[in-house]
Amino acid sequence: MGNFVLGKYIPLNSPVHRLDPRAKIIAMLAFLIAVFIPAGWIGYAVLFVIAAGTILLSRLSFGFIWKSMKPMIVMMIFLFLMNCLMIRTGEVLVTLGKFSVYTGAVAQTLYIVVRLLLMIMITTCLTATTKPLDMTLGIEDLLMPASKIGVPAHEIAMLISIALRFIPDLIEETMRIMKAQESRGVDMKEGRFSEKIAAILSLIVPLFVSAFQRADDLANAMEARGYAPGEKRTRYKVLHMRAADWLTVVGANAVLAGVIVLARILP
Amino acid sequence: MFFFFYVYNKGVPAMSAVEVKNLTFSYDGQTNAVEDVGFSVEKGTYCTIVGRNGSGKSTAAKLIAGLLDKKSGTILIDGIAMERENLLEIRRKIGIVFQNPDNQFIGSTVRDDIAFGLENHCVPQAEMDGIIEHFAAEVGMTSYLESEPSRLSGGQKQRVAIAGVLAMAPEILIFDEATSMLDPQGKDRIKQVIRTLHEDRSLTILSITHDIEEVSMSDQVVLLDKGKLVMSDTPEAVFSSEDRIRKTGLDIPFSMKLAKELKRYGVRLDETLRIEGAVEELCRLRSTK
Amino acid sequence: MPIAFDKVSHIYSAGTPYEFKALDDVDLEFSEGKMTAVIGQTGSGKSTLVQHLNALLLPSSGTVRVMDREITAGTAPKGLKKLRGEVGLIFQFPEYQLFEETVLKDVSFGPKNFGVSEEEAQKRAKEALRLCGLDEQYDERSPLELSGGQKRRAAIAGILAMDPQVLVLDEPTAGLDPRGTEEMMKLFRTLNTKRGKTVIIVTHDMEQVFVYCDEVVVMADGKAAAHMSARDFFADSSICRSMNILPPAIIRTCDALREAGFDIPKEINTTSALAKCIARQVKRHG
Repeated sequence: MGNFVLGKYIPLNSPVHRLDPRAKIIAMLAFLIAVFIPAGWIGYAVLFVIAAGTILLSRLSFGFIWKSMKPMIVMMIFLFLMNCLMIRTGEVLVTLGKFSVYTGAVAQTLYIVVRLLLMIMITTCLTATTKPLDMTLGIEDLLMPASKIGVPAHEIAMLISIALRFIPDLIEETMRIMKAQESRGVDMKEGRFSEKIAAILSLIVPLFVSAFQRADDLANAMEARGYAPGEKRTRYKVLHMRAADWLTVVGANAVLAGVIVLARILP
Repeated sequence: MFFFFYVYNKGVPAMSAVEVKNLTFSYDGQTNAVEDVGFSVEKGTYCTIVGRNGSGKSTAAKLIAGLLDKKSGTILIDGIAMERENLLEIRRKIGIVFQNPDNQFIGSTVRDDIAFGLENHCVPQAEMDGIIEHFAAEVGMTSYLESEPSRLSGGQKQRVAIAGVLAMAPEILIFDEATSMLDPQGKDRIKQVIRTLHEDRSLTILSITHDIEEVSMSDQVVLLDKGKLVMSDTPEAVFSSEDRIRKTGLDIPFSMKLAKELKRYGVRLDETLRIEGAVEELCRLRSTK
Repeated sequence: MPIAFDKVSHIYSAGTPYEFKALDDVDLEFSEGKMTAVIGQTGSGKSTLVQHLNALLLPSSGTVRVMDREITAGTAPKGLKKLRGEVGLIFQFPEYQLFEETVLKDVSFGPKNFGVSEEEAQKRAKEALRLCGLDEQYDERSPLELSGGQKRRAAIAGILAMDPQVLVLDEPTAGLDPRGTEEMMKLFRTLNTKRGKTVIIVTHDMEQVFVYCDEVVVMADGKAAAHMSARDFFADSSICRSMNILPPAIIRTCDALREAGFDIPKEINTTSALAKCIARQVKRHG
């Protein structure tokens, strides 16, 4: 659990940390769209420089980014193998028995890998520099215009922030139930198939019961403190866009525009 | 004009903070968790509600807080009947602190958690920080304002819950076994906070508890058994019959047990609720005899 | 066989910024056949200590000796399962461990895991349920339908049905009403005296320690700060007060009376003896 860093917030004090979450979310979306525009290797080089620059500005270490990337490596290898089997464009690079690997396959895979790499770099920049709560506030604000057409922006944000709030509690609860059942002779790792089923049930059922109890308690606590879904309420945390934030939004969209132009003028 | 006021005042008797009549509630529609319960609590009273696990105490508290819909009977809060159309008005008068410290911590930090109720009451954002800091200070949590719940003890979380409820300016505070999951230090601190609130702000307190000491210090005790009211009276009166106390699963204060034993040896005590009082009286008896 | 801790330390999240030494070089021996209370403030290492008794936690260094086994940092998990049948550990709020469709099934789950036949497991489960005060009418009910107090009883029965020689309880009465608490404590005491079980109980309640326990282990800052007989521990309130623990009511009363000039001998440990002693002194003045 402790080694899983993808999406984890890293409390540092950097210019990127201080940016308004809305600016960061918009910039990230613009960047992600840019990644999917085929602007050739020049385009990817530009995006890579921007992503690397953002990481430096965030004071995150590249080791950390590498760690976030690790879970993706298996997927990348799988993709590469699939591509090698499926794609038959370009020249034959090597032949292994019945199978031949074409240059097109390698190029295609590299494209995908580079895109994935860029996406992970930039999303990690967002999640590592933005507190989960600020993120939900940002999402709520950005969804606000959509609430006019019936999107429950506030409820979505409340849902996310409560989920985030209770993740550590639920992990702790799981460990506790696991230990209690181990004390009753449950073996979580070994045993026959039927024993494994019983072991999993002995963990899942109590976890559900306790989660429902929690949900019930929480609903009571929220209601008792005057929360009514859909009712008007004020907000304690208010976000403010400053010059740097506007600059980020404009800059990110300029990059997107640049990449689009690049894609047009490429042969 | 004066006459009018005189008549007006006379016509409306001093309202109880909580008045419950023939209250019945059932979770499953078959057995009643609360049955035909009636009692009233005057303003500014420290009232404890006691009974065995499953005697309907918590259900009664949730009914009074407007979190459950009664099957029949009436609940008057500050003279206002608990009905759907009055619900929001009544809820503003009542704050409730629950048993489990984790499950009522809604915000991601102490500050955010206290703010939660203020947001719901549409308090202007500019006023929030002042209110939050005031009530955090009142429960001694000022230095933890930015802390996340995972870094707080159960007792500290309960103090935050109290601050969060106080920030909404209720007249009646309900504590639903708020200290039962805490260690002795946490328990003592919460009990002390509740005492101070009662004395300094003359809030009406309804506390559901198994704590004999807290019960003996309260003004009024409501004793429930199997969903029914056994009695609602002073602690002295409630503790006076040991048989009744035993039957309802409670215990009596040690000083009362001692007084009962002393009676067998021909020594009679009047003050029996607190050890200090009993000792003082024994000293007097020794010097006067 | 005694249960012994030999220079046991336990460190959580070693090598991370969250590193925390919960047990620090603990030397301790629990007496066989006795009922021992483990007391101490929150965070003093009580829970960590008792989780070593059935090897849910392994020591970071040092050795734990339980039922002829030696448990060290490197102990392989193989032989541990059997140990868990011999040392029954009941966690705080154990009602959360119930999961089977019926109470009887749930209580026989433990014994079955330790290789007891279905028939024998049911027999033991029924016996454990009766011991815990749940009669036949509850056998076929879903554990979820029980009240809080009944769930607690069923969960405890689930451990008793394993027929462990050592019973370890982490605050078993937290949240129960006074009568439920008394019934529970009496049950544990009976298992200790009538069936010869070694009982180790983590508690904050000094009244329980005073009335039911033979020995007291005080944990403080990850160390076993004291281990003595309950009689010595409560001989006067000075030990309790030095450790910031509220002594039982009878001890507090004796103290207050002594301060007021009454002559209360140290041996007095029941309400009636105290009353007799007071009465004599009040009347002598008459």
